[in-house]
Amino acid sequence: MLLQEIVFTLDRFWSDRGCVIAPPHDTEVGAGTFYPTTFLRSLGPDPWRVAGLAPSRRPVDGRYGANPYRFQYFYQYQVVLKPSPKDVQQVYLESLGALGIDFRDHDMRFVEDNWESPTLGAWGLGWEVWMDGMEITQFTYFQQVGGLDCRPVSVELTYGLERIGMYLQGVSHAFDLRMSRDVTLGELRREFEVQHSRYNFEASDPELQRELFDRYEAEARRLLEEGLHQPAYEFVMKSSHAFNLLDARGVLSHAERQAYVQRVRRLAEASARAHVAPREPAMEGA
Amino acid sequence: MSRDLLFEIGTEELPDWYVTDGSRSLGALLQERMQAVGLGPSAVTVYATPRRLAVVATGVPERSAQRVTERRGPSAAVAFDAAGAPTRAAEAFASSSGVSVGSLQRRQTDRGEYVYAQVVSGGEPAAAVLPDLLATLVADLPAPRKMRWADVETPFVRPVAWLTARLEEETLPVRAAGVGAGGATRGHRFLAPGEVAISRPAAYAEALREAWVLADEAERREATRAAVAELAGSQGLTPVEDPALLTEVGNLIEWPFPILGRFSADYLELPDEVLLAVMVKHQRFFPLRSADGSLAAAFVGVANNRVSDEAVVRRGYEDVLAGRLYDARFFWRADRERSLSQHAWSLTGIAFQRDLGSMADKTSRVASGAEAVADAVDLSQEARAALVAATPLFRADLATQMVYEFPELEGVMARAYALAEGQPEPVADALMGGVMPKGPDDPLPPTEAGAVLAVADRLDKLVGFFALGKRPSGSADPFGLRRDAHGLVRVLAARGWRASVPTLVEAAAAAYRGGPVAVDAGTLDEVAGFVWDRVAALLDERGLRTQVIRAAVEGSHTVLGALRRGALLSRLEETAGFTDLMALYKRAANLAERYEGAVDEDPVDAVDPTLFASQQEEALQAALPAGASGATALLAAAVAALPPHDPAHGAGALTAVEVALEPGLSDLLSLKAPLDAYLDGVLVMAEDEKLRRNRLALLAAVVHPLRRLGALEHLAG
Repeated sequence: MLLQEIVFTLDRFWSDRGCVIAPPHDTEVGAGTFYPTTFLRSLGPDPWRVAGLAPSRRPVDGRYGANPYRFQYFYQYQVVLKPSPKDVQQVYLESLGALGIDFRDHDMRFVEDNWESPTLGAWGLGWEVWMDGMEITQFTYFQQVGGLDCRPVSVELTYGLERIGMYLQGVSHAFDLRMSRDVTLGELRREFEVQHSRYNFEASDPELQRELFDRYEAEARRLLEEGLHQPAYEFVMKSSHAFNLLDARGVLSHAERQAYVQRVRRLAEASARAHVAPREPAMEGA
Repeated sequence: MSRDLLFEIGTEELPDWYVTDGSRSLGALLQERMQAVGLGPSAVTVYATPRRLAVVATGVPERSAQRVTERRGPSAAVAFDAAGAPTRAAEAFASSSGVSVGSLQRRQTDRGEYVYAQVVSGGEPAAAVLPDLLATLVADLPAPRKMRWADVETPFVRPVAWLTARLEEETLPVRAAGVGAGGATRGHRFLAPGEVAISRPAAYAEALREAWVLADEAERREATRAAVAELAGSQGLTPVEDPALLTEVGNLIEWPFPILGRFSADYLELPDEVLLAVMVKHQRFFPLRSADGSLAAAFVGVANNRVSDEAVVRRGYEDVLAGRLYDARFFWRADRERSLSQHAWSLTGIAFQRDLGSMADKTSRVASGAEAVADAVDLSQEARAALVAATPLFRADLATQMVYEFPELEGVMARAYALAEGQPEPVADALMGGVMPKGPDDPLPPTEAGAVLAVADRLDKLVGFFALGKRPSGSADPFGLRRDAHGLVRVLAARGWRASVPTLVEAAAAAYRGGPVAVDAGTLDEVAGFVWDRVAALLDERGLRTQVIRAAVEGSHTVLGALRRGALLSRLEETAGFTDLMALYKRAANLAERYEGAVDEDPVDAVDPTLFASQQEEALQAALPAGASGATALLAAAVAALPPHDPAHGAGALTAVEVALEPGLSDLLSLKAPLDAYLDGVLVMAEDEKLRRNRLALLAAVVHPLRRLGALEHLAG
């Protein structure tokens, strides 16, 4: 199965189960959890189902394309279901079946994983799903997002697309994956990966990123005051990425690092509160 | 007729550690609650797998036991009118108590006459009481961290998937966490996914065995161990002994299916500790050893599924392990492109604690603290050379990628990188020892230089945090200071240095002088007190009673001294002579308190025989050398009985240490007769100041050797 066919198949599978298939968001994020369709929509009481490809960037994970599994830019497939369905584990296992992976032929495990995103003020409990010792999915019941309790609870499934593809295509390096009939993932992304690894670790301008962080943060704050929490949240994502670049560059002391995390978190929590707040006063006024 | 009860909480996969803890809690809570309602079972057996916590209670009575409780009502004057007829108040009381008005009793109390009702409770059928009781177990089962799911408001450790509640053949209508109980259980997630009927509660484990579930945790663990060993043995290999891994793996599966895999022998260039960390911590694989004891390029993974083609799973295991080993080798090579001293420079970028500077600031304090500690313990020439070479590199491995990725390898990697760059072995050992012990039961620094470094490191942290006012309060210990002090105490007891605790605290604190944090004498006293608290906790764990602990701790300067005095005093307490010994101490100490001698002076030197006015004084003085040698002999016996050792768990009760009490005890007791004669026949508090002082000095000279055994005032009572 081609890598892009895996995406089509999951799109179809989750579409059939009532999910909005949302196109990838166009701002750099460290994980699909940052997507407004996850972060903001997992708040509040309204039911919500969304799925789709979520390209993510973690500058510190760059390995110049040498590591078969680790990249600073990678594909996640993200599913969020609110409220979490009672049979969600079984449905998940069936989604693997749609990809041609019969879970009965493998050693499938749900291994404890306590997930936390300090920058998002979010945490949840769940598992890493292991297939034959390989982590292929993160499975999380959100307990808090943006510092707010999740009621009802959403469940987030994050498939590691490259890993699943490597298994299905029987290749031992993600860049050997066939994306389309004629193009491998390496052809699509190797040059990008190598150059960005160099950029993240060696060539990025820390002073610029510090300055950008400050400006993004100020902009997010200004927009929150203007009552524009959606654009404000865009700048939260941008500030988080600037922080990730500084982190990868190795220029932050432990204490500084903590301070940056706190700054992003304060903005994320303010965005979350702004997202939930309007509905109640608005309804009272109506 | 009694019956058996089965209650099973079926869940989505539990964390492995909760499988054990949760099932024990469930058994205890069920027992407690059934007892409380008069339904106490004769036995409770718990079962647990990653997908279920279950309990079978046998011998559940048909009905709850009847209990009669007495309830006091209004005063008789209010309950009955002048004619002796019950009032409305009496009727209300009777009705709220569930008894008839006629059955109310009147009784005189010291506060007047009152009305009483005899309330009979219990006697209800078990089947009526149990459903609510079982539902409360789901809500109340203790767990360190629970979660919510969907819109269910009862949190649990992981979502509750089903409940099974059976009283023999009867299914109990339990409802909890959004689930209604049924009478059947469920089999293995993949191998027997449907409902599994149970004929009766006692057949629970057998029914599950048919459905590929070993419900008994101990049985599953043993089956796993045996299966792994057998498979490894078939290749001439032996699994590395690791009980914690075995428990963990046993609680990640419902039935063990071991699979042997291999990795490229090239990766054996990595230090063993790295290979073990990757296999054990990250993959939960059992590492294997060859016949010669070296690590083999092979492992056993334990699957939770019986698959049609084992090669598929094996290939998966091997690929993922290869990826991790690839990473580890990447770190191993990249880290060695810089020397440890270059890594040490990077410690300036790693914070230790706000207001206490970076890790570089910390290690430079520890370097000077360690030298002062080395002086205090009179460290040997060779060990000192290793220490001096090690201190500039101490904790440099914190800046390496390997330790960033595998934090549990701190120290181990310092040693490996030091050896790889050609540092002498004693230096490498010191670097590793300086961060030991890591946990309450983990090994101590193997060398003396490492022990000095470990002591200096921990004292630096204690002094710094106490100076910042961040001492633990109550059960909260966010910075792990108790754990640090516990490790410190273990190292000190194992080394048996003669330097006192305050001396060592002082030595380590010297490095804070002139720094940004003020460390005053009060802080040092507090740190020493905190260390003594840990010693006391340890003595308590090792079976000593509180008074003995106080006497031992307050009478000692060193940790090992306190352990030895604890053992000695608890032995002495059991002897027939102990009463005499304490009487001797009390009589002498009573007045001796008024003696004002110079600090550190043995009062025996202050006694002036030319001032003696009686035979009793001479006799007592003549007896003093026997007393002193008696105390010396007892202490020497304690020293011989209790050599330096790691006092942590498993070290055995101190009360069981065989201390040879003779001839020391008899020598000490030989003071008693002359002392009694002296106190009966001589006026100690004489008018003449010189005489009085001399006579008090004589008493103090009696107390002095006794006081060497410990702060005996805590035992006199």
